[in-house]
Amino acid sequence: MRGFLAVIKKEAIHMRRDRGALRLALGIPLFQLMLFGSIDTNIKHVPTAVYDQCRCPESRALLDELVATRTFEIKRVVSSHQALRDAIIAGDVKVGLEIPPDYARHRLAGTAATFLALIDGSDNTVASQSLAAINGLALTTSLLELQARTGIQAPPVAPRPQVLFNPDTRSANLLIPGLIAILLTFSGTLLTAYAIVRERERGTLEQLMVTPVSAVGLIMGKLVPYLVLAFCQLVLVVFLMTTVFRVPINGSMLLLAVLSLIYLTSLLSIGLMISTRAKTQIEATQAAQAILLPSIMLSGYIFPLSSLPVPLRMLSYLLPATHFIAISRGIIIRGAGIGDLVSEVLALAIISTVLLTASVVLFRRSRL
Amino acid sequence: MNASGAQPTPAGDLGIEVLGVSHSYGNVRALRDVSLHIPRGTIFGLLGPNGSGKSTLIKILCGLLRPSGGTATVDGLDVTHQAPLVRRCIGYVPQRFSLYEDLTVLENLNFFASVYGLSGATLTQRREWVIELTGIGPYRERLASQLSGGWKQRLSLGAALMHQPRVVFLDEPTAGIDPVARRELWNLLFDLSANGVTLLVSTHYMDEAERCGRLGYLYLSRLLVEGEPEDLLALPQITPPGCRRVEAAIEGSAALVMRKARTLSYVQESTIFGNNVHLLIPVSVSDEQISHDLAEDGLTVSIRPIAPSLEDVFVRLTALQADAAHDAGNAEAAS
Repeated sequence: MRGFLAVIKKEAIHMRRDRGALRLALGIPLFQLMLFGSIDTNIKHVPTAVYDQCRCPESRALLDELVATRTFEIKRVVSSHQALRDAIIAGDVKVGLEIPPDYARHRLAGTAATFLALIDGSDNTVASQSLAAINGLALTTSLLELQARTGIQAPPVAPRPQVLFNPDTRSANLLIPGLIAILLTFSGTLLTAYAIVRERERGTLEQLMVTPVSAVGLIMGKLVPYLVLAFCQLVLVVFLMTTVFRVPINGSMLLLAVLSLIYLTSLLSIGLMISTRAKTQIEATQAAQAILLPSIMLSGYIFPLSSLPVPLRMLSYLLPATHFIAISRGIIIRGAGIGDLVSEVLALAIISTVLLTASVVLFRRSRL
Repeated sequence: MNASGAQPTPAGDLGIEVLGVSHSYGNVRALRDVSLHIPRGTIFGLLGPNGSGKSTLIKILCGLLRPSGGTATVDGLDVTHQAPLVRRCIGYVPQRFSLYEDLTVLENLNFFASVYGLSGATLTQRREWVIELTGIGPYRERLASQLSGGWKQRLSLGAALMHQPRVVFLDEPTAGIDPVARRELWNLLFDLSANGVTLLVSTHYMDEAERCGRLGYLYLSRLLVEGEPEDLLALPQITPPGCRRVEAAIEGSAALVMRKARTLSYVQESTIFGNNVHLLIPVSVSDEQISHDLAEDGLTVSIRPIAPSLEDVFVRLTALQADAAHDAGNAEAAS
């Protein structure tokens, strides 16, 4: 551990002298949280075009009910099938509804009244939610009609769905606990990688290498100040989450703080590992990309882990972000305790230990 | 505490010993079979053109590079196998200023002192000693980035002396600093050497070479000579048998004499020194004859015999080595 305290003290002076970098380190995650935290993943007001060949009270009733779901917003009324398709191709609308001339006749006769719904499949989320909304509406209308005709009051099967933890399905509650993990991945990895690579670029690392400073002392001395900095980022981001975005923390805040320290340690260790190999800050940035993008795509932040093919899922379990996102969502949204998160915590602890040890070993090997 | 404060030295009278050390960067040979024996307390000057391998040798001796062949000891410790111990007893002043520019002089010194394991009263005492030794006191609170080149070098040296090393390596420490700062730095080196510290200094300057107790000349990754300056000046190949060195002085232009000298077939070497020209000529050519041959337009040329300078030594050795390499190349092409 020789040199540990000396290196910590020196890093603290560097940070204090470079106010600009410090402001960026703290400001960028906050700015990104404000930006991305406001994204609403619930699909509403999908632009819709209508080609109503019937122009009758029945067709108007159908359109009114579709609009009442708030999923659709009629942007355009057209007068041909081709115009409907063209509007979708041009990207002006995502959904096209075509009501045939015999719609009213079938409705009044009690025979199957059909209408055409064209859905833009180029946006998966919009397509599936629009489809569900249209199907749902058609099903409810049919059910009510059948109940009236047969006199059966209650439907044979009636689900009683209850969405736990986030009854209003607010996007912020789902998005931000994961976003915290992602924002910290960027700053944690890169700041630490730069802290050593910068010394290599300026030649000060060489000067340090001829002193008896130990690899452990140097690496831990670099890690601790940045751990403190990254923890400050975390506290700021969590504070904004609870105040500005009104996302409540249902579990223990202390548990979240302790586990996030383990997560941050793993991120900083990745940064240190990169820095033992990279010669320049540009090289370090490129190496960091290799870990940053998978942390977004494969960690369960965007796509649920269950949608990943098995080999990718294996890979995702190696990413610290995967486990921390599970932990952060567990504690913040579900109010989970340490007992509920044993496997995630264990995985995170193992990954952190391995990475930290590896960075010390790699660093030691780069010296005689 | 004495002026250098070198720690008690272990047995053995060599500060640095290099035995058959080679090094390659990929396919590029940086050092070939270099051997050196540097007694304790010596200031050893390592000379050679850029790219000859000086910095590589220093890095190997500091334990920054592993030699691809051969062994080396510093203060009796093997640089490859006892690197951690070597680090405790050496100081290294690299070619480029390598302290922290955003730290003050005091913060830099404190940092390196604590890295060397000093703390409390010992740290303060040792730091003040270094500040007094280097005279950097007036700039204590100044950021290292705001120091001039000379003061940066002294700060570097100060940081490298904090733990009272027994061997100090300086890689072109005076490159780019003014003559007064250079002289002051050298006075510091003399003080250290007087107290038993072994110093290895690489340089391009001949006046600095003359201040060294021993010299080595690296050329194209080989050590061509090693020895005391007097030994090098007396080397037979410098002034070959049957030759002598003279200085031709002339009123007016030395370039004129130089041009004339180049046309004379018996002149083996000619170099301008200020207003004079140094010539290497056969003993058989008399002063009168050379004066006569150089004279032009009625100008008088005065001739006096001189001893070779260190610069003559290195120019001569380089030329001989280039000829040898050329001949070897021809022989290879012929076979």
